[in-house]
Amino acid sequence: MPAQTWLCHNPTMELQPETAPGAPSISEDGVDLTLIRWMLSLSPAERLEVLQQFVTSVERIRAENDAD
Amino acid sequence: MPRTTPTDFLALLKVLRNHGVDFIVVGGVGAVLHGAPVSTFDLDVVHSRDDANIERLLGALDELESYYRTQPEKRLRPGASHLSSPGHQLLMTRFGPLDLLCAVGRSRDYTALLRHSVEMLIGQGVHVHVLSLETLIAVKEETAGDKDLATLPILHRTLAEKSKP
Repeated sequence: MPAQTWLCHNPTMELQPETAPGAPSISEDGVDLTLIRWMLSLSPAERLEVLQQFVTSVERIRAENDAD
Repeated sequence: MPRTTPTDFLALLKVLRNHGVDFIVVGGVGAVLHGAPVSTFDLDVVHSRDDANIERLLGALDELESYYRTQPEKRLRPGASHLSSPGHQLLMTRFGPLDLLCAVGRSRDYTALLRHSVEMLIGQGVHVHVLSLETLIAVKEETAGDKDLATLPILHRTLAEKSKP
């Protein structure tokens, strides 16, 4: 797995603010703008927590696979 | 490399701060702190290479039980000469991977980057210097590896969204 990847797992997606009607959700170059808006609505500490949750989830999956 | 070393970014940063280490958060963690929806599995920091800071950094690395992850079986620990050198130190710690970078982009070291950093509260009362999103983008454009090229559109869009009134 590359050291840096897209953050595709979003366990607290329900916190994502509603996108204004008409505002594009995907940019012309394929970037999910709703994820960016959601992340920007959080404080830096909360953003770090999102990343931590993602990494912890992946590590848990890896550990479970190793145990099999 | 042990696959069970749990990563804890906040704990890692807290140890560095508690030892008074002068450093700037760059890379994926820096991007996330600015609101970019990217992920990373290591913490990249650029540290000051002045003698007093190297001593403080050695204390922090000792507490973190750090060793070079390139040869994990040897458990080689970084010394002052390594941390003062222009090379990158790719370490494993008890809180996950830590990359100590002497410089990023076109030889931008701690002194050059500090004025392009912002201080952020990242939880539990811990404040750290984080490279500005504009400079993070500039640095990635200077190096332009495959990983950087994949991330750049997200960083540009994050900066654009952030700049909206």
